[in-house]
Amino acid sequence: MAQRNLEKQLNILDYALSSLWRRRLKSLSVLLVFAAVIFLLASFQMVTKALSDKAREVLVHTPEITLQKMSVGRQEAIPLAYRDRLAGIFGIRRVVPRIWGYYFDEVRLANYTVMGMAVEEMPDGARLDTALASGTMPGPAGQGLVAIGQSIKKALALEGRTTFSLFRPDLSLKAFEVSGEFSPDTDILTNDLVVMNLADARDLFAIPAGLVTDLCVYVANPQEIDTIAKKISETMPSVRVLTRPQIQKTYQVVFGWRSGFGSICLLTALAAFVILAWDKASGLSPEERREIAILKVLGWQTSDILVVRFWESVIVSGLACVVGMTAAYIHVVYFAASLFRPVLMGWSVLRPDLHLLPRLAAGDILLTLAFTVIPYLAATVIPAWRSATVPADSALGG
Amino acid sequence: MLIELSGVSKIYNQGRANEVRALSDIDLGVEQGSMVCLKGPSGSGKSTLLAIIGCIFPPTSGRAAIAERQLARLPDRFLTLHRRETIGFIFQRFNILPELTVLENITLPLLPLGVPPKERRQRAQELLARFAISHRARFPAGQISGGELQRVAIARALINNQPIILADEPTAHLDTALSREFMEIMQQLKEAGKTIVIASHDPLVFEHPAIDRTVTIQDGRIHVP
Ligand SMILES: Nc1ncnc2c1ncn2[C@@H]1O[C@H](COP(=O)(O)OP(=O)(O)OP(=O)(O)O)[C@@H](O)[C@H]1O
Ligand SMILES: [Mg+2]
Repeated sequence: MAQRNLEKQLNILDYALSSLWRRRLKSLSVLLVFAAVIFLLASFQMVTKALSDKAREVLVHTPEITLQKMSVGRQEAIPLAYRDRLAGIFGIRRVVPRIWGYYFDEVRLANYTVMGMAVEEMPDGARLDTALASGTMPGPAGQGLVAIGQSIKKALALEGRTTFSLFRPDLSLKAFEVSGEFSPDTDILTNDLVVMNLADARDLFAIPAGLVTDLCVYVANPQEIDTIAKKISETMPSVRVLTRPQIQKTYQVVFGWRSGFGSICLLTALAAFVILAWDKASGLSPEERREIAILKVLGWQTSDILVVRFWESVIVSGLACVVGMTAAYIHVVYFAASLFRPVLMGWSVLRPDLHLLPRLAAGDILLTLAFTVIPYLAATVIPAWRSATVPADSALGG
Repeated sequence: MLIELSGVSKIYNQGRANEVRALSDIDLGVEQGSMVCLKGPSGSGKSTLLAIIGCIFPPTSGRAAIAERQLARLPDRFLTLHRRETIGFIFQRFNILPELTVLENITLPLLPLGVPPKERRQRAQELLARFAISHRARFPAGQISGGELQRVAIARALINNQPIILADEPTAHLDTALSREFMEIMQQLKEAGKTIVIASHDPLVFEHPAIDRTVTIQDGRIHVP
């Protein structure tokens, strides 16, 4: 009995496959539209996922509190002496000066982010040394040493050499030597980065002694970030105090808006697709009515016909998922989501040659499936119920 | 009696504005192994009567026993189960699916019965050989001749070896030669022990010597001359 039932299900599956094959043009067009919807949805989801992972990576390396001096709404250099005024605030672990700026290389037409860090003063984990693929971070003694990111390496076309020069504001040349190279895995953070010690950065940008661009504050207990930030603002009203949670929130707002906008576009596409599927499935052609009537009069149960429809839909949507998901993965990983650039890449932190590698989680894939396969199954099998109520006697007579 | 109807009536769309009384108070018995012709003008109720005998729907009132099973108030599911074991249908225009091959068409009734592919093919090939159309097995049914189509339709009605064969206006679209051939095959089936009911107003059918009895229907009643 169980054997018979299994054989029956196999027979019905076989019939579903052959009827898909018979209507291969129609099946293929539905499959392609469906795959396109899944492709869009999955690409979008993978990009979103990869970007938020990247954002988290960036934030890990952001100091807990950053202090900048503001004057008439613009940032200007902050005196190192301000460190003394922070000494009285309880809970501050360390205050590290930083000089950074953008350097436009007129020869190679490229923009570099130059970061002068007092590596020796920074706490573990904030130093970026974990991002190195090879070599070492330039220390205070290593005059002219730099660690560079991948796109800088490309732009400088070093090819075995380790030395290069950049211009000071007075157009005199300053020589550098590469001591370390950042890993491509950390590209969102390090791609266009040139890290050197504080003295070299001061020299390159011609910043007077006693001044830096900002002060990075590391606290003993991350729970107290807000309290300490508040105390700093009270002590030094002219200083802008940026905390890591604030930066995080800004990212989320910008990112949330963009992904929300994208979702609306996708949902519209999805709705159009469901309507199309419904329309296709519910409008029974005379041939389909005839086929159903014949099958019924030959002894097929209504449920058998529904199962045929179900298998047809499962096969079409299953194939569409495989095709759509694979295409999405290739699109995101190998083409860096180039179709979504206009929507997503306005996000200023992202470099144009961003390398995305989404970590595929089962939950995300299931979510995409839930938003595509289930509506499709509903849109095709539910109207098929009506089709299965075609009376068998309509196969009789002329 | 393999087919036993007493006081059978059928009302379509009962209680609604488009109510139609198609059959009234039909008494009919058909012996196993006999061949009966239902004759009558268009709209008299032949197809409706055939549908009740064929377990497609139960009568609105009255008793109908087909192969010792009472149809009254039998749910659709069980009607279907009984139908596929008992009834082989041959339709006007044959109701063959043109995109399927001849072999696929013939084996359609076996799919929900859970008959495995090998056995299906074997049974179909026996029938194809018997009706001399083995060479057409892999052809799409839409591409074969009218005579071959007719034999495919008969083969499909026999595939599950059902005891009762019903045919609704089988010769309406056939020329004289094919109509004669059809009746010859029916005669062979009758001799092989099948019980056959044919609805037709074609003299080639109801005047055929193999017909045991002709029942005339008029306005949904059996007409006794
Ligand atoms: N599904 C249906 N719904 C409503 N009325 C129907 C239905 N089928 C048949 N009828 C009506 O029932 C009556 C008998 O129809 P039936 O098809 O049984 O006649 P018939 O003798 O087979 O006619 P024909 O020779 O034209 O095939 C007719 O008046 C017909 O209009
Ligand atoms: Mg009729």
